[in-house]
Amino acid sequence: MAMLELRGIDKVYRSHGRPPVHAVRSLDMEVEKGEIVALLGSSGCGKTSTLRMIAGFESVTSGSIAVRGRRIDALPPARRKVAMAFEGYSLYPPLTVRENIAFALKSRQVSRSEVSRRVEAIARLVEIEDILENYPRVISGGQQQRVSLARALVRDADLYLLDEPMGQLEPQLRAVLRGRIKSLLAEREMTAIFVTHDQTEASALADRIAVMEDGVLQQFASEKELKERPANLFVASFIGEPPMNLLETEVKRADGGFRLSVGPEVAFYISGDGLDQTAQRALAAAPRVRVGIRPQRIAVGEGAVRVRIVSNQWLGDQSHVAGECAGHLLIAVVPNRVAARPGDVVPFALGPRHLNIFGADGVCIRHAEVS
Amino acid sequence: MAGLEIKSVTKVFGAVRTADSLSLVVEPGEIVAVFGPSGGGKTVLLRMIAGMFEPDEGDILVGGRSIVGALPERRGIGMAFQNFALFPHMTARDNIASGLRAKGRADAASRVQAISRLLKIEHVLGHMPRELSNGQKQRTALARALIGNPDVLLLDDPLRNVDAKLRYEMRLELPSLLRRGTAAVLYVTQDYREAMAIADRIAVLVGGRLEQIASPDEIYLSPASVAVARLFGDPSINLAETTPLVEHGTLFAAISGARMPLGMADTLPADRPYWLGVRPEDLGISFSAGEDAMPARVLAITPMHEKAVLLLRFEDGKEWLAALRPDALNVVADDAVFVRFAQEAVQLFDRETGLRVSLSHRRQAA
Amino acid sequence: MEHESLAGRIFRGVALTLILVFFMFPIAWILLMSFQTNEQILRIPPRLLFEPTLANYEALISGQLHTAAGNLEITFMRNLWNSLVLSSGAVALALLLGVPAAYAFARFKFRLGETIAFTLLSFRFAPPLLVLLPLSLYYQELGLNDTYFGIVWVYQLIALPLILWIVRGYFEDISPDIEHAYRLAGHSWREAFTRIAVPLAGPGIAAAGLLSFIFCWNNFVFALILASADKQPVTVGALAFVTASGIQYGQIAAAIVLSVTPTLLLALYAQRYLVEGLSLGAVKG
Repeated sequence: MAMLELRGIDKVYRSHGRPPVHAVRSLDMEVEKGEIVALLGSSGCGKTSTLRMIAGFESVTSGSIAVRGRRIDALPPARRKVAMAFEGYSLYPPLTVRENIAFALKSRQVSRSEVSRRVEAIARLVEIEDILENYPRVISGGQQQRVSLARALVRDADLYLLDEPMGQLEPQLRAVLRGRIKSLLAEREMTAIFVTHDQTEASALADRIAVMEDGVLQQFASEKELKERPANLFVASFIGEPPMNLLETEVKRADGGFRLSVGPEVAFYISGDGLDQTAQRALAAAPRVRVGIRPQRIAVGEGAVRVRIVSNQWLGDQSHVAGECAGHLLIAVVPNRVAARPGDVVPFALGPRHLNIFGADGVCIRHAEVS
Repeated sequence: MAGLEIKSVTKVFGAVRTADSLSLVVEPGEIVAVFGPSGGGKTVLLRMIAGMFEPDEGDILVGGRSIVGALPERRGIGMAFQNFALFPHMTARDNIASGLRAKGRADAASRVQAISRLLKIEHVLGHMPRELSNGQKQRTALARALIGNPDVLLLDDPLRNVDAKLRYEMRLELPSLLRRGTAAVLYVTQDYREAMAIADRIAVLVGGRLEQIASPDEIYLSPASVAVARLFGDPSINLAETTPLVEHGTLFAAISGARMPLGMADTLPADRPYWLGVRPEDLGISFSAGEDAMPARVLAITPMHEKAVLLLRFEDGKEWLAALRPDALNVVADDAVFVRFAQEAVQLFDRETGLRVSLSHRRQAA
Repeated sequence: MEHESLAGRIFRGVALTLILVFFMFPIAWILLMSFQTNEQILRIPPRLLFEPTLANYEALISGQLHTAAGNLEITFMRNLWNSLVLSSGAVALALLLGVPAAYAFARFKFRLGETIAFTLLSFRFAPPLLVLLPLSLYYQELGLNDTYFGIVWVYQLIALPLILWIVRGYFEDISPDIEHAYRLAGHSWREAFTRIAVPLAGPGIAAAGLLSFIFCWNNFVFALILASADKQPVTVGALAFVTASGIQYGQIAAAIVLSVTPTLLLALYAQRYLVEGLSLGAVKG
């Protein structure tokens, strides 16, 4: 049995004198016990509405929400056994940091020594031991966010709901805290769902990522799967830093396979052997398709595609090389430094096996081979 | 003749030295990024150049002439603001042209056309700011700053309020856009990657002081202080406090259960505490033990920027991060591993001053 | 939550109607009274159905009041004109002085700035009569007694603090960066003030102007003491309806309708701009 089960969730906001807003559309999702799931999307994609419906701050327009097989969508928030960290922190101003964190444990049957032990353990984890006796208004935004996280994680709950949990954290601390929180969640087998617009954070923390756009779940898969095998053009153009290069190509049959040409000089040959029946048929029917290749799959300095360099930026641990090719901008990301200046012509290698092919409706016809 | 010259500028607010004797030269056509944590004084520096505050001490020169005390409108400065600061009651076109009309230029219309074509906002010139997307607002604000061909161009974290995708695109586009003219460009940012991508040189401003002014390469590879080292790199540099030992003319650091060779003994005084820093991408992980390997447990793996970031806990409870190519090694959380690093990867900083100490890596003759 | 039961909807409708009746009744009643003769008004019990008459309005506009005790001259139209002149003059002067002052208080931090701003506001707290007695003596000496300017000046006590405090808030809401950007584009601070700050605070200035217009229009005591019949506004002029032969309720009602109408129209007209202005404020970026 799944820990959390969303079935056919719809959310429509109706307000007087304005057209109704369909924030979430027939969303189905299952989250297993101990899993960490990210709801990822740009603002207005429905991710926060979804989280708030699980927490009970919004009603569902239709559909059902169940935790451990028990329907909770009609219950008030307090009886859902969920812990939540809010984007705006929502710390209680008259309480100290310690009291804020302990507050969640007070009503439960927990002894005082146990409360203080748990508060201190979680405080150490998010590095707020030194400010436990301070009041929320005197601590920085990053510290407030860590307190808010601690207050949610210290509780015993079926589900931990975190709304943009780490957006304000100090950059030097972020990577370490991500690791510690992930390790804590794994160790205690806590089930967590968090909302974020930052895919770096989603990839770092989540076991699976639900990519949402326009209220529709686009793909729900691991980070690697999203990057290597995007379900559609939206995911392909959204996921990745930077996202996939997408090129418009013309399809022609050739030698039992297909020839996808970007321009007179650049073309890819896809052999028929590697394609299943549906892909064969889809390609044969489509006059034009889009091909996508991840920037990290392009090799620089070798290959047949000649590219005029537009920019070459080294970021300390990787280089981002952008160039123009048959009217398209191609971006390659390589781990080493590249000696190329804007204006130079440099060969790029785009291996056919690394290509994803998208049909006119945006759905992926063929995925790249995962090495 | 230097485009922009800042000479020992100091500004005190109350008891805080927001700018502490800052000196910086930006050549015409050069992009210098002013980078540092928030509250470090970046915005105050920009505002002193723009004439919103006057410095308490020091001088600011544009094209060799002091502009301290001059009215903002006479300084020949273009500026783009973090919150865009578009005039909400004017169309994008009027926003962009506002500077030209003031100088009574006849060719305003054609110049607005040219700059908006370059920034790809021709189709929204007739719109009011509230009808523009964030990206278009930001491009309009840039066009407004660029159009007058100012001697000095100030950009106050212009990509802060646009989404990640747009920020990435602008990061690629901006350098060539900014280098079109002969303006001396000062670019404030809080994102080290943006600074490295866009700038010719980076000025690191921490607590009102310029910690280092150098090329992106130099700052990343040889940061002047531990503060600078911590600001560049994501995840940031791993640090350990160490007092090196000398054995057979070689320096060793005993950290977290291992003896790491650092370099030749005669290059720095031993028996003093140092910060030893190693970047996460310079750590090697394996399953084989050794005297030069720190035993650790993998607490969690958090993928980031196409790398697997490992949170490692050593036997003494210390935590470090390693950033590996994802295909490098098959490690899962809770594995016991051994951590190594090459002595070339080590950066040493004085424990007291935080300043960098250079090491010689020449191997001893065997 | 967004689904409401039928009972809930009915309850809400009834509640709204009750509140509406409660607040609108006096106004509606006065409107009805203005079309009745004094006899009709004083009839007990009052009737909702009656033969409407325009006699009250005729009397006000012609200036001839026929009562049982004979004909009476009334200067209501003159009073209305005075109200208009005094209130507009007072608001115009207050805007001229108050808007730049509000800008200064919003943008510049200077010594005693807050104290001065608060002192100006505190003028609103003082009981007007206390100020008036010495003021009328000074006015007599200065020859300001019974002049339009004298009254407009004293009306500044009403209008200026209001404009200063409301408009200051609007100026503070405009990001200073917008003005900085305009100056860096090569404009003087005067241009930044007139072309950026004032237009952007426009809705606030309009709202403050409107409010102070209404307050000036409704003022009674300043004009009562400082103005002769010739310069009296409607608020004071209405006293004339208390005549030797009784109180002229019908004319009073008509006078009220006529004197409320200009401010009401002004408010309705300005509302459009106020709403527009508020939504403009949302795009400071």
